[in-house]
Amino acid sequence: MSGRVNMRPTNKNALLKVVILGDGGVGKSCLMNRFVSNHFDEHSFHTIGVEFLNKDIEIDNESYTLQIWDTAGQERFKTLRTPFYRGSDICMLTYAIDDKSSFRNMNMWKNEFLYYADIKENSSFPFIVVGNKSDVSIEEREVSQLELETWCNENGIASCIETSAKNASNVQEAFKMAVQHWLRAESRADRTECTYSDTVDLSKKQSDVRNSCCAGATDD
Amino acid sequence: MSSEDAFWKTISDKLKRQKSVVEKAHERKLQEVDGSFFERFGSILHERSESEKKRDLQNHVRATKASVRFLPRAFLHQDYEDSQPPQEADSEPEPEIELNEEEIDNQIIITNVNKEFSSSADSEQDEKDDSHYYSGMNLDELYLEVLYQIHHNVGCDVTFELGETALLSYVQDAFKMSNEKHNQLLTAAQEREPPELLLNVEVIEAKDLIAKDSNGLSDPFVTLYLQSNSSRRYNSSVKMETLNPVWEEHFALPVMNESCDDILYIEVWDFDPAETMREKFGKILKVKGLRGATRLIKEMAITATMGQHENELIGIAKIPLKTIPSSGMLMWYSLDRKYKMARQGVIKLHLSFGSEKNCQVAAQEHRHLLNLLLLHELETSQIGPYEWDGKFGSQAEAIIMQHKIQSGLCPTEIDFVQWAAYTFVQKEHPLSFGLYLKLLTKISKHLCAPSRNEESVKIFWTFTKKLLPSCIGLIRKVRKRPHDKKTAEQIADVLNILLQLMCLQQPFDSDLFPTNLYPWLISYEEEKPRSISNVLNAAVVKGGKDWLQFILERTEKQDNSVDETLVYFHKVVQIVRSDLQRAVEYDKMFQRIMNLEYAKTLYNLYQLEISNLIEDELISICKSLKTFAYDWNCLSQSDSNDHMSLGTRLFELYLALQRFVCLGTTLSGDDDFRIRNCHTWFQGGVEQWLDIAVVRAMQRIEKAVELDDLSPIDESVKYSSSALDTLTIFHQIKIFWDQLNWPDIESSYSFVAKIIDDLCRCCLFYADKMATRVDGMGDITDNYERRFEVTKEWCLAINNIDYVCQSLKPFTEELQLNSLIQQLAEIRNPLEAERCNDTLQNVLENALDTIQNKIVELLETVAMKMSPAMKKLLIEGAEILHQDSNSIHRVMRYLDNNLATLYEELNEDNFNRILDIIWGNLGNILYDLIHSNIDKRRPPAFFSNLKATLQLMVKSFKHTDETTDSEVLAKIEWLLTVNGMETNELIHQVHIERWRDQLELKSSPYGELTVRLQFLNNDLKVEIINARNLIPMDSNGFCDSFVRVCLLPEEKFTNISKPRTQTHTKNLFPLYDETFTLNLTSGQRNLPDGLVVFCVKDRDFLGMSNQFIGEAFVHLKDIPDTTANIKTLSQVHLFLSRPSNLTTDCITALENRQGDKLAKEFLKRLKQKSSGSPIS
Ligand SMILES: Nc1nc2c(ncn2[C@@H]2O[C@H](COP(=O)(O)OP(=O)(O)O)[C@@H](O)[C@H]2O)c(=O)[nH]1
Ligand SMILES: [Mg+2]
Repeated sequence: MSGRVNMRPTNKNALLKVVILGDGGVGKSCLMNRFVSNHFDEHSFHTIGVEFLNKDIEIDNESYTLQIWDTAGQERFKTLRTPFYRGSDICMLTYAIDDKSSFRNMNMWKNEFLYYADIKENSSFPFIVVGNKSDVSIEEREVSQLELETWCNENGIASCIETSAKNASNVQEAFKMAVQHWLRAESRADRTECTYSDTVDLSKKQSDVRNSCCAGATDD
Repeated sequence: MSSEDAFWKTISDKLKRQKSVVEKAHERKLQEVDGSFFERFGSILHERSESEKKRDLQNHVRATKASVRFLPRAFLHQDYEDSQPPQEADSEPEPEIELNEEEIDNQIIITNVNKEFSSSADSEQDEKDDSHYYSGMNLDELYLEVLYQIHHNVGCDVTFELGETALLSYVQDAFKMSNEKHNQLLTAAQEREPPELLLNVEVIEAKDLIAKDSNGLSDPFVTLYLQSNSSRRYNSSVKMETLNPVWEEHFALPVMNESCDDILYIEVWDFDPAETMREKFGKILKVKGLRGATRLIKEMAITATMGQHENELIGIAKIPLKTIPSSGMLMWYSLDRKYKMARQGVIKLHLSFGSEKNCQVAAQEHRHLLNLLLLHELETSQIGPYEWDGKFGSQAEAIIMQHKIQSGLCPTEIDFVQWAAYTFVQKEHPLSFGLYLKLLTKISKHLCAPSRNEESVKIFWTFTKKLLPSCIGLIRKVRKRPHDKKTAEQIADVLNILLQLMCLQQPFDSDLFPTNLYPWLISYEEEKPRSISNVLNAAVVKGGKDWLQFILERTEKQDNSVDETLVYFHKVVQIVRSDLQRAVEYDKMFQRIMNLEYAKTLYNLYQLEISNLIEDELISICKSLKTFAYDWNCLSQSDSNDHMSLGTRLFELYLALQRFVCLGTTLSGDDDFRIRNCHTWFQGGVEQWLDIAVVRAMQRIEKAVELDDLSPIDESVKYSSSALDTLTIFHQIKIFWDQLNWPDIESSYSFVAKIIDDLCRCCLFYADKMATRVDGMGDITDNYERRFEVTKEWCLAINNIDYVCQSLKPFTEELQLNSLIQQLAEIRNPLEAERCNDTLQNVLENALDTIQNKIVELLETVAMKMSPAMKKLLIEGAEILHQDSNSIHRVMRYLDNNLATLYEELNEDNFNRILDIIWGNLGNILYDLIHSNIDKRRPPAFFSNLKATLQLMVKSFKHTDETTDSEVLAKIEWLLTVNGMETNELIHQVHIERWRDQLELKSSPYGELTVRLQFLNNDLKVEIINARNLIPMDSNGFCDSFVRVCLLPEEKFTNISKPRTQTHTKNLFPLYDETFTLNLTSGQRNLPDGLVVFCVKDRDFLGMSNQFIGEAFVHLKDIPDTTANIKTLSQVHLFLSRPSNLTTDCITALENRQGDKLAKEFLKRLKQKSSGSPIS
């Protein structure tokens, strides 16, 4: 099948809806921009309600299109962002490692998400926790890696990572990790479902055709 | 933009056409799914609000007209005829409005409520007038006076015309005199001589009276008479519940015999202790009709006069006439009682003698007369309240005229008396405000004149106080009045009365608005002075408050359910709004006359009250909505009507409030008012609604797909009903959004983003449903085979999705993204707005991409379904082509039929797309076939048959479409060609490729050969000149080279010798300089792909295993056919090469022919050449 030419007008990747949540100022928009356009703007504006960007990502030779919804952290935008939670595949909880309160608020974010996205309790929704601004100096750091891991363990979240949108460290990895996490969750969910590949399907049909054809011939 | 306009126009045209063509039944079925969910939020509400807007407008027009109509008349006293007759005004063309049922309901509710309000008992008592003032004058005395005047009438024409008898019987009626009494008094009048001397008594006030009633007070009145004529008693009015009464009443007692021994008796009585005056007056209020009231007054007067009452005497003052100086005197007298030592109180009297009736007495008399006749008039003429405008019947007119003349009252005095007489009855028998206004206009002049009589001024204000409650009451209780022109006129009159009063200097000593009359004023504006304008303002506010209070109590919820609450709120808002509309009609009058912003005042009151009422509860309702939200996992479940209707209610309330705010903006301009932010109360609700809307939309889409018969709506289009239905849903959502008209830009932006995202979801859902719907169609199973035929339905399904998808973008334009972004740029900044715009565009693009993918997926499904048949037919074609040429026709027919259907039914884009996909599939099938059959060692014939089939197919594709991707095809064709070749053909193909490769060379590591070639007829002349830069082959760094000339393909030239040159030893630049002539047949010479090959070899010293250095090819077609000497031709430089690529298709094909000796041999030699190893 190597010679197959892709003639579809658009990519046909699996679409994954990713929501980025976290306090205002932790760098959500910067993370998204870094990830999507590999560009960092020191003086970015506050997000109004939501922002949306698309980005393709390849993992294990499979392409995925991430539909990334960046949200506004301020309370006054609450009603503007919550409508977008529903239907999410992945939720990225973010804080800034130099801001303890943003870390503490993750509980709130997680709950808000679960509530508005209508996620059943204790379903293993793929959350990923991202501690941004890992570039800041040791003195400025307020949340240790250990604290992060502890929190994740307590909350049953398997993926966490520290990133810096500023110097582009771990940003791609964070999103990659998110998708892998999703894949694991999916495969767990789909394990019982049997999947057919096109070829299997086709050969089955083909043999059917042949059989009936033969039958027809003998009838003649 | 214009193309999009056109686009929408087509859609709406189609929608219309569909409506007319397809019966409404379809639509109804669809709407049944969710009870017209979308229409209720979309077009239906839209229509309703449109019609409300129209109504507002109309009302406005009416109001303007009304104020034009009412004002000049009221204000400028224009003649009625001068103003436009109302009928004419009403018949002016006005937009026809069809009220829908609910609206009519609302109207009815409002009307009913106000009706009820009108008839509702006042929560608080009417303005109490404690100084109730039925002056208990001596009726007989007045009657006598009137009879006397009729008898002695002076110069009045009227009397003659009417006749004395008629007048007499009229007064008898009016005074309700019995015949006996009448005759008795008439005789008296006729006998009566004009009195020479009159004792003028003014009963001013009393103080410190003793209490007679259990409540510690008394209800005092005064009876006065002369000892000489004790049967002619005069009574003052009764002052209720006071020990310090003020009367200020005038009496004129004729002094008959001029004896100075006569004594004036002044008796002060407590009125009827068994039945208090209040109770008695209470009775009056209860007694219906004028007759009853008159009778009661009469009864009171008579009983008092005759001394037959059970009243209790408080005290008596006896004043001998001789103690009164002729100049008159003002004096306090003490009141005594037999056997009682204690003083019973004191009374202040003004006493004087006069030969003529005191003018104040006359005025008082005139007033009583007017009152009596007025009551009689009202009784007999059945004039309604507020209607009597000062016109008496002719008899009454005559009597009044006589009294005026004979009492010597001047016009000014008469105006004051009329003011007193008319205002006096106002409470019980309201007269036309226009009457008062006219009178007031006259009186104002007197009051402003320097010569004014302070006494009259005082009286004027005293009686004005009796009028004011009715005026203020009208304003306060205007909602109890019918909403008509008359009421408006009355309001204008009242306002003008108030205006005139305001212009007058008001008395300092008397409170115009005493708390006992206006108890409700206490709670209002305590600190403000009770000026006319303040009280008016307070009345407006109080009136509004009371009414609203009533409305809130009356409009009760049936239960405390959220639904009921919302209905209740909605009703309240509607009712209040309708009241405001009425207020707007009056507003101009208020503003113009009293400079009061009437409507605005009320609006501010209402908006605050409504906010208080609604805000908190609404916010919590919206919050709690989430719990009602739909279960996303069970779309088919349909018992969710509860929160459905909840959504509708919420939205209706929202729209009502929005209109309410709108009204406020017109009234208050830019002022901030609380309800302006009412939309924020709904924020949570809107989100929920959007969520619910998506579910609804999906349900409807599901139904629409189910109902779709998968045939084009009409001949001009290639989509079916469900596509249109889906767009209709979108359209309704858009209308909903328009209606929502959300004032906050930032949240608008978010909502729009969500709407677009949701629509995308609906599109995808539609695509899925559509695909499921057609799944299985075209699968044919008969006795012979199972195959798939492309059906129209499949094509329509694809077109439908495409159509919906393409509508998405213009649709979002409809959501007015541009203006939204512009507004964002204004309130934030352009950069951020740009980012928001990008987001919206991204969301949209993403949506479009996703749907496009869906379409491609479907196209692939179709193509995929065609694959097995194509594969089967191809194999058949390849295997049995020679035996049964029908099979190829069957392939062709299959393709032809299906492609034709696709071409017919799909739109161009999608047809091209699927063609590409089919080609792709075909490629895959052939690849599979070729490879699996190569593995199976099919004979070359199999492949060449396959190729023939393919070529036929290509032709048929080309037939329909030129732009087919030929690269794939060429590749496949080539593969088939290669594999279909005989081995020798294949070998030659390898050589040809070698020749082609050689042409591409720019240099060579193996060296370069220089030759000349020439055709002389069929003879090939070959001159080998030299070689240069040969690669060293021997250990000494040199070559021992020679060149052999061969012709290819080998088997075609078996008869031709293969000449070679001499060997040139130890030379990398050998000079061969040899010429050979090869005699070919013309057949050989003209072979299409004949090649000359020069093979340069290194001769090993034994000559047994020469080493291959390199070879060079020349195509026969490149050799000049000339008779010229070969030495004159140009030299040909050929790069030497070795086979380098051993994986070409041809070589692979050869390698696959394992059992083929020829192939095996060739490949062996090829590999040796390639590696440069010795050639045997
Ligand atoms: N040092 C540092 N600063 C960052 C990083 N990412 C974002 N910021 C800064 O944090 C601020 C807030 O970023 P923004 O993306 O707007 O935060 P958001 O409100 O979460 O979207 C900006 O001033 C950024 O320059 C980071 O990785 N390192
Ligand atoms: Mg942001």
